Amino acid sequence: MSALLNSLTTELRRGTLTLAVLSQLRTPQYGYSLVQRLETCGITIDQSTLYPLLRRLEKQELVTSTWDTSESRPRRYYVLSEFGIEIYHQLKSEWEKTSHELYLLLKGED
Amino acid sequence: MKLIDLYIYEVTRRLPEKNREDIALELQSTIEDMLPAEPTEDEVKQVLMQLGNPSVMASGYLDRPMHLIGPKYFDVYVSVLKIVLPIAMIITFISLVGETIATMSNENALSTIILTILGQGIWQLLSTAMQAAFWITLVFAVIERTEKVSDQIPVTMNFKKWTPEDLKNVSTIPQNVRIKKWHVFASLLWTAIWATVYFNASKLVGIYENHPDGKILVTPTFNQEVLLSSWLLIVLVITLEVGLAIFKGMERRWTHKVAIANTVVQVVSLVVFIIIFSNQQVWNDSFSNYVNNLMNITNQMKNWAYQSIILTVIIIISIDIFEGFRKAHKSRKTLLTRVISK
Repeated sequence: MSALLNSLTTELRRGTLTLAVLSQLRTPQYGYSLVQRLETCGITIDQSTLYPLLRRLEKQELVTSTWDTSESRPRRYYVLSEFGIEIYHQLKSEWEKTSHELYLLLKGED
Repeated sequence: MKLIDLYIYEVTRRLPEKNREDIALELQSTIEDMLPAEPTEDEVKQVLMQLGNPSVMASGYLDRPMHLIGPKYFDVYVSVLKIVLPIAMIITFISLVGETIATMSNENALSTIILTILGQGIWQLLSTAMQAAFWITLVFAVIERTEKVSDQIPVTMNFKKWTPEDLKNVSTIPQNVRIKKWHVFASLLWTAIWATVYFNASKLVGIYENHPDGKILVTPTFNQEVLLSSWLLIVLVITLEVGLAIFKGMERRWTHKVAIANTVVQVVSLVVFIIIFSNQQVWNDSFSNYVNNLMNITNQMKNWAYQSIILTVIIIISIDIFEGFRKAHKSRKTLLTRVISK
């Protein structure tokens, strides 16, 4: 893939990252389980962005986090808050609207 | 294990104290999640590679920009630099010229003065430019970091978002009728030079003779006390000239008002010039004697020389006044045709 196409693709995906992460946090997830879940769906995510992103979402009160020390190693679990669920649904319908519009546009091309 | 600790340290040392422990713990558990039970060094390296540059990771946690001045303020920042730097440098240069001329001693020849101004000038201009640029950059960097609203929408010169109202402040003066900035600066520089020379005439203007140490001023042309006694008139002319330069800089094109102001300044300067130099006392006695001995000049010739100088000055000034009105007229016409052609 050319460098230009690469940077355009990155840019195209950047905005969808938050939505992808929010969608997986309806059930509690810790950092690496989230990465694995996203990767099984084919979404590769820059990990140096993901962990800070989780903290930022927490600061924005979209998710809450708790330390789980019951297992062999302590893990920090993140899950959507009430507010987060609300925002997630709004963002989801925005995305569906946008992708539908874009679909119509791109279909017109053929 | 050591690599992992170092990696975590490299991230957390960039973070505020209160978050360090928590983030370190989370990173530790994440990295262990990614690794098999007994990892080799290569496996560790691979995982750390996936996590990426620690400083990038840390800046993500900090939510702080990884740039000094971002897109929001960059345009205003450049505009402010473009306005402030030239003004700061011009002021430095003008005061340097004034200072050099004023503090000069008799022994200094003109070439020394020019060399001093050039040598010191380049250094002082550079240092002023760096100082100004540094402080402006610092202020903008602080604004960038204290900004609460983190939208990246660029702001205009009034530090607000752009609106169509801003278009009303756009200067549409055509290039050919604009008063050039360097013209304003040149007039200020000219005023500074002649004023310093006037107040230090006995040290600067006169007959120089060659000496082993260089040229030495032996006979001043003017009687400094007589020159100084007219200081009020001179201050009046300086004020008028500086005022005119500032007025030109503000109007930015030749208008009728600028042409009239120019006329007033030129006429007042001429009158003051005539008043001062029609006084015979203004010439230093020894200078007059020197000239008389040298050329055997009659009074008639002196009068003739005096009158022709005055006449030349009057002609130059008349041309300048006329040019002012012509430019004002031309600029008005240019602007009118532009309005009509729309």
